[in-house]
Amino acid sequence: CDNNLEELNQNPDAYGEIIPEYLFTKSQLDAVNVSYFGTAALTIGGSMQQFATYKEVPAAGDKYFNDGYSKNYFPTVYANAVNDIEEVIRAVSEDPELSNQLSIARIWRAYIFHHITDLYGDVPYTEAGKGITDKIYTPKYDTQSFIYNDMLKELEEAANALDASKSSYGTSDLIYGGDVAQWKKFAYSLMLRLGMRLTNVDEGLSETWVKKAIAGGVILDNGDLAAIGYVDGSQVASRNPIAEGLMNGDYIDPQSVENVEGGKYAKTFIDHLKDTGDPRLNAISVVWVDNGSGLYVADTTTAIQKGMQNAEFNNRPADFPTYSEPHPQTILAYDSPLLVMTNAEMNLLLAEAVIRGWHTGDATTLYENAVRAGMQQWSLFGEAGVIAEERIVSYLDANPFLSGGSLEEQMEQIGTQKWVSLFLDEYEIFANWRRTGYPALVPVNYPGNLTGGRIPTRFVLPDSESTINAANFQEAVDRQGVGNALTSTVWWDVP
Amino acid sequence: NGYSQETKVSLELENVEMRKVFETIESQTDFKFFYNNKKIDADRVVSIDVFETPVSEVLKMLFKDTAIYSVVRKKQIILKVNPLKIEAPLLLQNSEDIEEEILQRSISGTVTDTGGLPLPGANIVEKGTLNGVTVDFDGNFSMDIANDEAILVVSYIGFATKEVSVGGQSTINIVLQESAAGLDEVVVTALGVKRSEKALAYSVSEVGGDKFSEARESNVANALTGKIAGVNATGLATGPGGSSRVIIRGNGSLSGDNQPLYVVNGMPIDNSIPGGGSSTGGQGINVDRGDGIAGINPDDIETISVLKGGAAAALYGSRAANGVILITTKKGTAQKGIGVEYNGNIVFETPSMFPDYQYKYGAGSNGVKPTTQDQAIEWGRLSFGAPMDGTPVIQFDGVERPYSPVKVKDNIKNFYDVGSTFVNTVAFTGGSEAMNFRLSVSNMDAHSVVPNSSFNRKTANLSLSAQLGERLSIDGVAQYNIEEARNRPGTGYADYNSAWATHLVSNTVDVRNMAPGYNPDGSEILWNPVNIANNPYWVVNKYQNDDKKNRFIGQVNIHYNILDNLSVRGTVSEDFYNFEYKGITPSYTAFRPGGSYESLRSDVSETNLLLTIDYNTKLFQDLSVNAMFGGNQQRNINNSTAINGQQFTIPEYYSYTNLGTLTTTPNNRRTGVNSLFGSVDLGYKDFLYLTLTGREDWFSTLSPENNNIFYPSIGGSFLLSEAVELPKTFNYVKLRSSWAQVGGGAPDPYLINQTYGIVQGGHNGRPVQEISSSLVTNPDLRPYTSTTYEVGFNAKLLDYRLGVDLTFYDRTTTDDIVQTDISTASGYSRALLNVGKVSNRGVELLLTGSLIRTDNFKWDASYNMAYNKSEIKKLTEGLNTVQIGSGIGGGSIQNVVGRPYGTIWGYRMATNDSGQTIFDPNSGYELRSEIMELGQGVPPLIMGLTNEFRYKDFSLNILLDGKFGNSMFSNLAQYSHRFGLTKATLPGRENGLPLSGVDTQGNPYERVVPVEELDTYYDNHKRYTDIFVYDGSFVKLREVVLTYTLPQKALDFLKIQSASVSLVGRNLAILYKNTDLFDPESSYTNGNAQGLEAFGVPRTRNIGMGLNIKF
Repeated sequence: CDNNLEELNQNPDAYGEIIPEYLFTKSQLDAVNVSYFGTAALTIGGSMQQFATYKEVPAAGDKYFNDGYSKNYFPTVYANAVNDIEEVIRAVSEDPELSNQLSIARIWRAYIFHHITDLYGDVPYTEAGKGITDKIYTPKYDTQSFIYNDMLKELEEAANALDASKSSYGTSDLIYGGDVAQWKKFAYSLMLRLGMRLTNVDEGLSETWVKKAIAGGVILDNGDLAAIGYVDGSQVASRNPIAEGLMNGDYIDPQSVENVEGGKYAKTFIDHLKDTGDPRLNAISVVWVDNGSGLYVADTTTAIQKGMQNAEFNNRPADFPTYSEPHPQTILAYDSPLLVMTNAEMNLLLAEAVIRGWHTGDATTLYENAVRAGMQQWSLFGEAGVIAEERIVSYLDANPFLSGGSLEEQMEQIGTQKWVSLFLDEYEIFANWRRTGYPALVPVNYPGNLTGGRIPTRFVLPDSESTINAANFQEAVDRQGVGNALTSTVWWDVP
Repeated sequence: NGYSQETKVSLELENVEMRKVFETIESQTDFKFFYNNKKIDADRVVSIDVFETPVSEVLKMLFKDTAIYSVVRKKQIILKVNPLKIEAPLLLQNSEDIEEEILQRSISGTVTDTGGLPLPGANIVEKGTLNGVTVDFDGNFSMDIANDEAILVVSYIGFATKEVSVGGQSTINIVLQESAAGLDEVVVTALGVKRSEKALAYSVSEVGGDKFSEARESNVANALTGKIAGVNATGLATGPGGSSRVIIRGNGSLSGDNQPLYVVNGMPIDNSIPGGGSSTGGQGINVDRGDGIAGINPDDIETISVLKGGAAAALYGSRAANGVILITTKKGTAQKGIGVEYNGNIVFETPSMFPDYQYKYGAGSNGVKPTTQDQAIEWGRLSFGAPMDGTPVIQFDGVERPYSPVKVKDNIKNFYDVGSTFVNTVAFTGGSEAMNFRLSVSNMDAHSVVPNSSFNRKTANLSLSAQLGERLSIDGVAQYNIEEARNRPGTGYADYNSAWATHLVSNTVDVRNMAPGYNPDGSEILWNPVNIANNPYWVVNKYQNDDKKNRFIGQVNIHYNILDNLSVRGTVSEDFYNFEYKGITPSYTAFRPGGSYESLRSDVSETNLLLTIDYNTKLFQDLSVNAMFGGNQQRNINNSTAINGQQFTIPEYYSYTNLGTLTTTPNNRRTGVNSLFGSVDLGYKDFLYLTLTGREDWFSTLSPENNNIFYPSIGGSFLLSEAVELPKTFNYVKLRSSWAQVGGGAPDPYLINQTYGIVQGGHNGRPVQEISSSLVTNPDLRPYTSTTYEVGFNAKLLDYRLGVDLTFYDRTTTDDIVQTDISTASGYSRALLNVGKVSNRGVELLLTGSLIRTDNFKWDASYNMAYNKSEIKKLTEGLNTVQIGSGIGGGSIQNVVGRPYGTIWGYRMATNDSGQTIFDPNSGYELRSEIMELGQGVPPLIMGLTNEFRYKDFSLNILLDGKFGNSMFSNLAQYSHRFGLTKATLPGRENGLPLSGVDTQGNPYERVVPVEELDTYYDNHKRYTDIFVYDGSFVKLREVVLTYTLPQKALDFLKIQSASVSLVGRNLAILYKNTDLFDPESSYTNGNAQGLEAFGVPRTRNIGMGLNIKF
């Protein structure tokens, strides 16, 4: 009596087998597409005073008024990027011929997890992504120190295991086309980023890993910059998720005097770019100007660029249309690339290693290389992003590295440069600000804010964890002793 | 018939008149012959010689080669003529002689019950003769009798036989009384089987079709509200053509379907909503596209009977665990000529529920009025302005108008139309004993109160049945529906929901000034700063949201009597629909200027093949046995393609070929269940009955290793009043009890194995794979079980004037297949587990009373009440709660261990032990409590009261119903509070709002919220869910129907058989409620998450009239 029944239960629109390289592509796309607008733009971008919005609901980071958006990174990243990469690792682990695929997947896994733990502190790590294989439905939380140690170990092992003579992901790898040598640089670059993160909490450990990473070789040339390319087509999933997020979140209609969430660039950010004569301003910022016939056109003129004050009271400023917005041909272009790991950042990290005495080199050169790379990278966004060499030179002339300055002054300069150079990679800007305190930002104090007028220092774990994964959640919260709020801190974030 | 098979006679008669044979059989047995002696020739001379031969065999021998056949009904042998054999000999030998010799005069009349209802099929025999007739469908008869001394013996099943002297009368109206001995109410049970009520071990409620066609609802299931004990029917606030939610004896499944199985003429129909129902968190074009039951035309319904317990499940399988609603459609009847019946119905509806807002402070914020147009838009939905003073103030459109109250009641009345529903149904019936038909065609045209929103349903229903000789009969039903909806009203969040702005615009702004919703350049007129909160005129004038459903419901039955007591029945049924939907968010919509497109095409079918074998016999003297064995194959297919996209390249050209982004999503779902089942019914004498059933199911949705389950049931009934002598007060007392188990498979296909999808289009030329589901698939799933135990009695007292029916039941679902929320850190959001245990226990009471009965005036009343206590007994280990839905703006519906089904959860302002509010010194706002239970979403207590008055040709029907003990989280209340519309936001408007309590350290805390921050302060109240949770109890005047039946005399000359006109009203008044802002019956989805309100279609009062004419 059960003939045909089994056949009935086969889904004609699903495939029964995993193809690891195809799923690896998905894990790359998913890792950099995690509710960007709410978490990166509104929550961090507002806190880091690069974006501002006058409305209260989206004022997560602008007015420290709303913790809802900060809860969204967690469920999205685990259900997609983490799940994908865990499946890939399982699928390629058995076959020694696929060792490169395994190594690259381990490196990518570390990249995915460092964002999660930097945002939330202690998080599920060893038991994460094992819902279907091990039936672990309520994974335990690992301490951030354990996660950091493990990620660094993973990067080292994976980088060592990479073997240029074996096969790799080929074109399924959207970043390097399967190039093993470049993945090695990526692994050490991430190691450098993570190692430097530990300067305040464990300086010795930090130094060890920073030195190891530098010795391994990090991304220093434009040609090694890690980026994912996108296309402007009918498939939303193939569009740049930052552009898609910003457009649909706020800037979809330049012809309207309203933006969906009332967002603009922040005064702090635009003022800094103008004050330093930073040519990147014209690559990233426009003001929509009425061309006289009622049609708004994008204008990149430096003089009219203007940022909106964070924590404006709950009112639309009468001059709302005159504030700067993201450039439609670079940041808002669906076919722009998404920069995953840049030589600008690595040069700044090396400069910091030099001033800490952990690396021999010329901090000034490294800093200048970083500025140059940070400006040149905008040419990847198309014609509107190209910055002429003479403007780079004149910027460096006007803002030279403080080679004679104190460590703090140099740290501030490097930190502030990171804030500009890594613009859009809000997660790293947020982590770096928390570690170094730079750029120096003046907090706002909006009536009814949730932090007592302090800039948020951590994301809030989602409510579902406190109900569904209650025991593990509570244990982790108690263990860290900093609560589960925007004002909580993570392990490495110590003064 | 077992008796005719069992009863044997010996006859040795040579050349005698047939009537002599009849008399001899009557003398040897309890049988009595009935026939019309104008048609049946009783003088025919026959010879017969049989020994110990069953009566059934004798009858066959007697009528061999004639057109006569016999129908055995209980102990009556009714002789009939088969017109198909009209050429057969010896039909009528010398009828003229008979008339001359015996019949002197004619008499006519009617036979009715005490309520005036005709009793078609009643037998009338002239006493002492074989002269008799059968009463026709409308209760009329006419016959010839010998003389004035004749006495008519009138009998009908379930009624006391009555003898009437004719005397000199030429017309005679006979009223029969119900009787205990004869009481044998026949009800339709599972598989369309008619069974004697007294043999049923479980509770069945039957309601006549007229109860659904008088004061009608566009969805017939909504009309069940208040009519049947234990049936919780909830009409939704989603406009005409919407769906219903019907729950019988509580929700048994944690996350699966809890609605009953709908069965039409013995076979299940599909009750799905195309593309799924509206969602609680609904954004976008969140509309209710109507369920399967909504396609049934009330005019086609003969009866609806509700099988509440699990006992019916043996015959219908797992879906019957939630109860079965059996609909029997009208059939043709043998009659002269063609009968025509017309039903017309017209109803108008107007909004009848308006929020109670404040009108002291007008549009604005910070205690001031807007001074510019930009500011007026910025504060378009805020009423935190200055005291209204009537002076001119600028509004969102740049026009100055007085700063004076514009009542929300007027805005609602001005924005919404008068809704209307016209229904026209014509039915034709005709045919003979051998073959008859009924064809009905119907058109329902409904215009919602929401402008430009309409729903049209055309149905054609053809029922055919044929008696092909003595052994073979066939019948079939075919129904075709065309349902078309234009702009079904949106519900839920602000976009595509005209109820949003009409209820939330500032209290000094007239909504009519937002018309027509668009500027001369085609863009949307803005009225507030949140673009997604559409201009309501833009919603009704510019959005497009059309769907069309073509549906065919068909079934064919073949019934063959192999022997008189052994029959086989085969049935094929199919319910198929094709659905096409297209929704357009237009170009230039403020929040999505490029517009967006969504569409769905789906083909859905349910097919059933059923074969049953029925055998009945009699053992010993008093034990009757009825055994049935059968098999069923059920297949469900739901194939759909959804096309969605955004950004029309050429504005206002709404084709999916013109889109900037495009996704096509196929969804092909196929499920099947194969079953074998059997039942045995035993009857001892006329007072003790026992039913045993068993069923084995195989489910396609489970792994082959554990895809089948056997489940049994047992039930009995005992007629106390038959078995022992009871006091005279008790006319009829029956005790019943049953225990039944049901097994069920996973509701959805493809959930046992992990699969991978291919991302359409890949990425930039590279193929991309994805994990198909966020659900952890589970190959180890096994069937769940639902066990019901019930015990009850029904009694008729005081000469049948009073009826009591009381039932206690207990229903437990174990191993429920639950989609359990799991930590997303697992990589998945849900797991499918066999873990749930849910208990529902309750009591149902039905009281019926014939309170006044005089010749001209009659008052019948019926009261039903049901109390259901549900409890979630168990979920996964380590898991205490399953969320089944969440409302917009907070308020989630959860199933929590130890608590009733579907509780509302949210937050309160935190207080310390002495009740003082705790303030967060960081924000200066009240600290929010931990998440906690705030109420239950499902009313545990429901009741209904029907009063029927009849005076001469007038009847008045009044239905009240009520639900008690549930709560509602209101999104309307939340938003109107945030925006300063509610009276609760008045404190602090003049001098600021002083707050006091303690801080988080326990120290006294005080501050004053300045007027400028009042809007932010009250806006922050949205975080404290309990402020917006209301008691959802109500009592409503649900239905009033006043009917005038035209007297027969007035109709004779028009050649009309009967005619009646009615004035009807539905939802006339809310007699009791605890909500000041919304109707407590404002659910906007028919899913499991009940207890949420969010801007549905306003509650309306419906008034109209109906006309019924039979030719």
